[in-house]
Amino acid sequence: MLRALDISTSGLVAQRIRLDAIAGNIANMNSLRNEKGEAKPYQERFVVFQPDEDLQSRDGAIGVKVSEVRTETVEPNYRYEPDNPLSVKEGRWKGYVAYPNIDMMSEFVDSLVATRAYEANLGVMEISKNLNEQSLRIIS
Amino acid sequence: MLPSLFDKTTIPALQETLSFTEARHQVLAGNIANADTPDYQLRDLSVDTFQQRLKELLEGRAGRYEVESPGQLKNSEPGDDMRRVRESMKNIEFLDGSNVALEQQVTEVAKNQFLHNLSVAIMSSQFRLLQTAISERV
Repeated sequence: MLRALDISTSGLVAQRIRLDAIAGNIANMNSLRNEKGEAKPYQERFVVFQPDEDLQSRDGAIGVKVSEVRTETVEPNYRYEPDNPLSVKEGRWKGYVAYPNIDMMSEFVDSLVATRAYEANLGVMEISKNLNEQSLRIIS
Repeated sequence: MLPSLFDKTTIPALQETLSFTEARHQVLAGNIANADTPDYQLRDLSVDTFQQRLKELLEGRAGRYEVESPGQLKNSEPGDDMRRVRESMKNIEFLDGSNVALEQQVTEVAKNQFLHNLSVAIMSSQFRLLQTAISERV
């Protein structure tokens, strides 16, 4: 019964990390440089989950963990700003500035899904705790 | 007379469990309080090690429940097995060097509370039994 609490907790942690990644994506919607300061626009990051074998019950129920945080590689959004010092100097996109290609709508929807999943895990935890308390009433 | 009366019951073992859950609760509360402290490493008291030692203590006395000084099992030195932090808790390390995942700690508090409540429930039913025997009525 207490394993159920551990499994739900792993879900909470995983969904919170996913929410962190989404928050980072929205915060960096206009980041024209990467973390090293190079003139490369921010790329969307997304969290990949996988079952966690350390959190496995004898009956096969299994927890979740973050497998990796992947960085998307998509074409940036080009906007024509020839006066911008970060604009492309030569080639097809001469005079254009590369902006991150992040779809705010899907980020918001993802954050809603992550929040609901977090709440669902909390709900399961509440049920597990109630079960524990009910079992205690057998002897008291 | 009274000590021998209680030694016939599981009360000393439950007493040890209660002082352990109390001590562990304080350690876990410290983890939550330090959730934002840079470089803070999780602390914990291992339930498995505690239960193993309690078992050894109880079996070492030829099946009789007898604990020398109450609360002796919760005391542990740094580096002791009982202070081991579960491996699965170490999986996330944040950039500031701390590794506290708040949800895990709150869950541990809830599980610890359950163990505490369980011990208290058994203990009070033990006392009720004694009460019934003393007053000779149900």
